Amino acid sequence: MASFEDIAAGFQMVGRDGRLELLLEYSDKLPPLPEAYQELREAGLNMVHECQSPVFLRPEVRDGTVRIIADVPRNAPTARAFVSILHEAFDGATPEAVAAATDYPLRDLGLANLLGAQRTQGLSAIYQRMKHAVAERSHTPIASDSADSA
Amino acid sequence: MSTYAHPDVLVDTDWVADHLNDDDVRLVEANEDVLLYDTGHIPGAVKVDWHTELQDPVQRDFIDEAAFAELCETKGIGPDTTVVFYGDKNNWWACYAFWVFRLYGHESLRVMDGGRKKWAAEDRPLTTDAPDLPTVSYPVPEAPDLSIRAFRGEVLAHQQQDGPMVDVRSPEEFRGEITHLPGLPEESSMRGGHIPGARNVPWSNAVNDDDGTFKPREELEDLYQQREGLSPNDPTIAYCRIGERSSHTWFVLKYLLGFDQVKNYDGSWTEWGNLVGMPIEKGDAEAATPAQ
Repeated sequence: MASFEDIAAGFQMVGRDGRLELLLEYSDKLPPLPEAYQELREAGLNMVHECQSPVFLRPEVRDGTVRIIADVPRNAPTARAFVSILHEAFDGATPEAVAAATDYPLRDLGLANLLGAQRTQGLSAIYQRMKHAVAERSHTPIASDSADSA
Repeated sequence: MSTYAHPDVLVDTDWVADHLNDDDVRLVEANEDVLLYDTGHIPGAVKVDWHTELQDPVQRDFIDEAAFAELCETKGIGPDTTVVFYGDKNNWWACYAFWVFRLYGHESLRVMDGGRKKWAAEDRPLTTDAPDLPTVSYPVPEAPDLSIRAFRGEVLAHQQQDGPMVDVRSPEEFRGEITHLPGLPEESSMRGGHIPGARNVPWSNAVNDDDGTFKPREELEDLYQQREGLSPNDPTIAYCRIGERSSHTWFVLKYLLGFDQVKNYDGSWTEWGNLVGMPIEKGDAEAATPAQ
């Protein structure tokens, strides 16, 4: 696990082509969706509707630790890479760390100019979804959290 | 079945497979997703990104003549090269790139029918190997061909003379119920609606859902001519939100249906809907007068 700031620093150190290469690496690194969540995804729950691609994102808080559970198809590599970065940075983090994280993730990663307004919007929606869900769930008992998803 | 008005601008996946190694052919992949090409592309294809490579980084405009010539040289495209575009999202961005290349007068341009989706569905080869590009020189073109590009003053004059227009956005955007695509608030406009008199034909109606190929000519004629009253003989303007979806419709009207005087208004709704004093209409279009 690397902090979001460390990941962003890596992106800032390289130029446009280097950033695309890093994105491609992150896109390959997203772990497969755990079996237990496949039914939720099939049912169309926890989808980020602002994205043009079918992005499944379900941040959870278990025993005070954030878990980023996500799935993005391989034919949407940019969204997949961004979700993979969030997984690397925030899976295993505290809810406080997520709450304190940057409000400008795409600018910090140097992706705003690379992608342009049209393509950053879906990614911004993913990020906001993660922050809101973690904030909500860190104040919610685990039991009612799982009831919520039923 | 009757053929398209200019069938030579379309090639199918078989044709591309047979011409992968031709020296005078260059495949260009143009996608919505900036990374998709890098995950695997047709052997020998280069990437052209609509945002970082076709648009000026500062001013809202396309790259200029000199930058276009430089772009072609870095992609191994000479002035006589046959350029074949393909991409994701039903060739949406492939048609946009085609339009920019046409703007700068490149002669030999094609679109691969069905785009990336059809090629992949047919289990044809994709590679991450960088193409081996020849060293070419591309002369800086003359001024852009404005017979295919409309500016706002011209669009206003056209509207005031009841000239035909086609708005290719979603019905919700056309009626003025939303001012941006879901998830794209930065491309919103101060006002919602459409240019008075425009017909509404969402761009993707021109393609078959299953394989992303263009619909047959009869179906396209029914869509634009019989149902909406547009005519290939009239100067016609297509627009959307930033001019990209409408370049797809521009391609359909000009090359598949033979609308020789169709222009793309790339300022589109993000310009018109933000300008002071422009006429705007909300709600559905009035019933069309069917074409003869």
